[in-house]
Amino acid sequence: MNDEKKDTSKETAGKKTENKLDRRDFLQGLATAPVLGIFGYALAKEIGYQNAQKAAYEATKEVDPNLPELNVALIGYGGQGEVLLNAMLNIPKLRFRAVCDIWTEYSLRRVVNLLSRYDFEVNGYEDYREMLDTEKDLDAVVIASPDFWHARHTIDCLQAGLNVYCEKEMSNNLEDARQMVLTARETGKLLQIGHQRRSHPRYIHSYEKIIKEADMLGRIVTVNGQWNRSVQEDLTWSDRYAIPNSRLQKYGYGSMQQFRNWRWYKGLGGGPIVDLGSHQLDIYNWFLESRPKSLIASGSTDYYPKETHEWYDTVMVVLEYETERGPAKAYYQTQTTNGSLGYFENFMGIDGTLVISESEAANSGSVYRQPTATPWDEWVQKGYITAPKMQTISAESDALLDVRETMSPDEHEIPIVLRDPYHQPHLENFFNAIRGLEELNCPAEIGYETAVTVLKVNEAIEAGRRLTYNPGEFEV
Amino acid sequence: MEEGKFNRLQMIAIVIMRVLIGWHFLYEGIGKLMKGNWSASGYLMQSKGLFAPIFHWMADTPGVLSVVDQMNIWGLIAVGLGLIMGCFTTIAAVAGMGLILLYYVCNPLFVGYYYSIPLEGNYLIVNKNLVELGALIVVAVTKSGWYVGIDRIIHKLGLFKKKK
Repeated sequence: MNDEKKDTSKETAGKKTENKLDRRDFLQGLATAPVLGIFGYALAKEIGYQNAQKAAYEATKEVDPNLPELNVALIGYGGQGEVLLNAMLNIPKLRFRAVCDIWTEYSLRRVVNLLSRYDFEVNGYEDYREMLDTEKDLDAVVIASPDFWHARHTIDCLQAGLNVYCEKEMSNNLEDARQMVLTARETGKLLQIGHQRRSHPRYIHSYEKIIKEADMLGRIVTVNGQWNRSVQEDLTWSDRYAIPNSRLQKYGYGSMQQFRNWRWYKGLGGGPIVDLGSHQLDIYNWFLESRPKSLIASGSTDYYPKETHEWYDTVMVVLEYETERGPAKAYYQTQTTNGSLGYFENFMGIDGTLVISESEAANSGSVYRQPTATPWDEWVQKGYITAPKMQTISAESDALLDVRETMSPDEHEIPIVLRDPYHQPHLENFFNAIRGLEELNCPAEIGYETAVTVLKVNEAIEAGRRLTYNPGEFEV
Repeated sequence: MEEGKFNRLQMIAIVIMRVLIGWHFLYEGIGKLMKGNWSASGYLMQSKGLFAPIFHWMADTPGVLSVVDQMNIWGLIAVGLGLIMGCFTTIAAVAGMGLILLYYVCNPLFVGYYYSIPLEGNYLIVNKNLVELGALIVVAVTKSGWYVGIDRIIHKLGLFKKKK
């Protein structure tokens, strides 16, 4: 500004002047307008950031109308079969042709009725072999029978030329599981094992972005996880619908009690460590990119009657890993007498902590930065994690940090939500793999590795000592 | 205001303060607008003190609540724009003071009252709202819009001039 202007400005401040608008008045009148420009720019940036977060949150899905329709059969309509079918009914371009369940008096009738309501013409079968002989144009079968039936169902279906989605645990014994892998290889058909977290967008995001790309956790030295459940009554049945003994025996059950509660019986299921733990130990192996070297386990049936609960209602296990970055220990517990803190996996690295679960209700997904780690602003800006939650200190707490403590780290959330049924992405992955659009997220080989990992827990409990895994054991 | 009371530097300082407060108001308004479903009901429900019954009534009466919400959002935006642009500066500053006063009265920081949403600092009766209110008093009485702001143009053109 020149001197002349300076002089006038002194007079102008708040002074009543003549009604004459000059250039200077005009400029000074609008001098703050650029602030609105800066505000607009900052606002646009902020909106862009929020939209990116929202887009990551919602992960939009498209359905290609030209996708070929697939003919699908379901073997086993118990609790898990129902969960899978409900998820599949959300998936377009599937035609249900056949369902199979030995409980013809109850489950089979229910599922045939359900599918008829959705306008599917389905045939119901008691015996899966009859189904395979009759239904000749099936593309895929989804198997949700008890564990001890998995191998026979899977192998026969693969040999009949079907692609197979088989629930975990792959089998209740490793020899059968091995045969399943080999048959998949021989027939060239797809075999997906139902570790559905492998297709969960939050788990994929956590592995690919948070652990691999951003390396937010640093070297993971310890892992902790659990699935705790409240006391549950045994499953029951109505005598009106009871399966005749001859049929129960034909299919390997000693009684209706066993048929309904097979998960607790040796030779049929594997107990909670297999039903629940298997999902989570699978994640341990995946995120640690490693397989355990050895394990120590303790387990027993402490609460339920041992006659009806042959497998352990309480299991605690420490798996010892030798990862590429160094040794790691992973604790896991499952107990069925108290649901405290539900279920989650907690990966503890030197730079950060990842707490994740399949649930949208609790422990969904958060990362915590260690105070010593490099700041995560870049990953917040990229939308990998949310900005940290404001830490609040309760008014009542006067406690001062002790020299032995470190400040509690900031919590960032993982902005990925799955609004579909938990199993839907994994089933979609299977059907898209049949169409050649995707690779299987949990092929037989991975399911086998997990089966080796998990079945050894029960073995170690029985042995009552530390067992080692032979590295070759995980391969087929 | 008397002529020559403020020198240029002092006037610029006031303008900067005015623009900063305006920015804050503008984004408080736009931020609520962007949330789409923002409502004052939570804040009103928390109300304590002498006027709490009035604020509780506002929160409990849907028709009133939606008017309060809209008036708050657009009031914040209008005050923000007015302060940044120096347009009807005095009116904007007084309106801003009114809004802040309402927020404060709704949840006064009197000793013994604890607002359940945690605050990000330590306050004894005076909080940042009151400080901002004090700053707006300065803005309201200094006519900085006549120095830098649309008010200068309005004034020069003789718009809104009272007829004698």
